[in-house]
Amino acid sequence: MVLLPFRIKVKNAETGATVEMELEQNNTVDEVIESAATFWNKEMGTYVVRKGKKVLRGTQALSDAGVREDDMLELVPDPEGG
Amino acid sequence: MEEIIRPAEVDVDRFDRPRRVGWLDLDAVFRAKLLMVGAGALGNEVGKNLVLSGFRDITIVDMDRVAMSNLSRCMFFEKGDAEGSILKAEALRDGMNSLADKGAVKAVACSIEECSTDLFEKSTAVLGCLDNIIARMYTNAQSYHAGKPYIDGGMEGFAGRVMIVRPPGGACLQCGMNRSHAKMANLRFSCTGSETTLYEPRLASEITTTSLLASVMVREIIKHVSGRNDLMLSNAFFYDGRTNRAEEFEVPLNPECPVHLQ
Ligand SMILES: [Zn+2]
Repeated sequence: MVLLPFRIKVKNAETGATVEMELEQNNTVDEVIESAATFWNKEMGTYVVRKGKKVLRGTQALSDAGVREDDMLELVPDPEGG
Repeated sequence: MEEIIRPAEVDVDRFDRPRRVGWLDLDAVFRAKLLMVGAGALGNEVGKNLVLSGFRDITIVDMDRVAMSNLSRCMFFEKGDAEGSILKAEALRDGMNSLADKGAVKAVACSIEECSTDLFEKSTAVLGCLDNIIARMYTNAQSYHAGKPYIDGGMEGFAGRVMIVRPPGGACLQCGMNRSHAKMANLRFSCTGSETTLYEPRLASEITTTSLLASVMVREIIKHVSGRNDLMLSNAFFYDGRTNRAEEFEVPLNPECPVHLQ
């Protein structure tokens, strides 16, 4: 079965900015986090991605995480300082 | 017989106000044994809230020493502590005991990884006020295996997060971690030689965010010891201090998380 690329939007929780991302179903949540963090120059930090109220697991493929065309995910800082 | 009241009587009892909170079990608060890991900015705010709330038996674990840059964020550290390079755990212990009703706050000056696991076994609950992922992962795992609730706070600048872990069920702190956490943990590990940490977060903690997170953490502990888990956050609380927005998220249990495989 051929899986077509699909697009989602990712929102930067810190600025409110959004970016469109083209993905394959077998891309992982980790890859979304890395791409978005690199795009916004946030490589030096820890983040989670959420869909609605649910934090998505990094290793999960987007298809398994229930991410679909036109979904809006949010990149949220998960700070490690104390 | 009718109850007799006298003017200003309500101001005689130190704990008169919390006694009026119907769901709060003050005796359980007095009896609870807490383990607090980390005595930095968050540890100072959490410590203040704990002793004013009536907690008496608290063990603080931290290996660092007070520096001058801590003074804008740590109410219990003084200039002399920084000049004398006093251990944070001991300075915080002394400050908390000076505020406490019947203070029995203890300090253990070592890293949590070096402490006996008895500390976890003997505690009612564990509070994480740490500044790095590796110590968080260790504290999370030990708390989980000891079956003790773990409340972890993390912050950077105006961003904050509190995670509630309640074994034996549900997600743990590590369930919510991903490759970005592994990358930062490795970076810190590779930059840490003896006791010198070269990597620092981009933004230092900021006292108003710290204060708010500490309030959430201590409020959750009070609910837990009062037997009111039904009032507790489900598991994750995120806060953005710039907009003053707070939201509760759900971190699902990760079946691949090593904490649950052991
Ligand atoms: Zn876990």
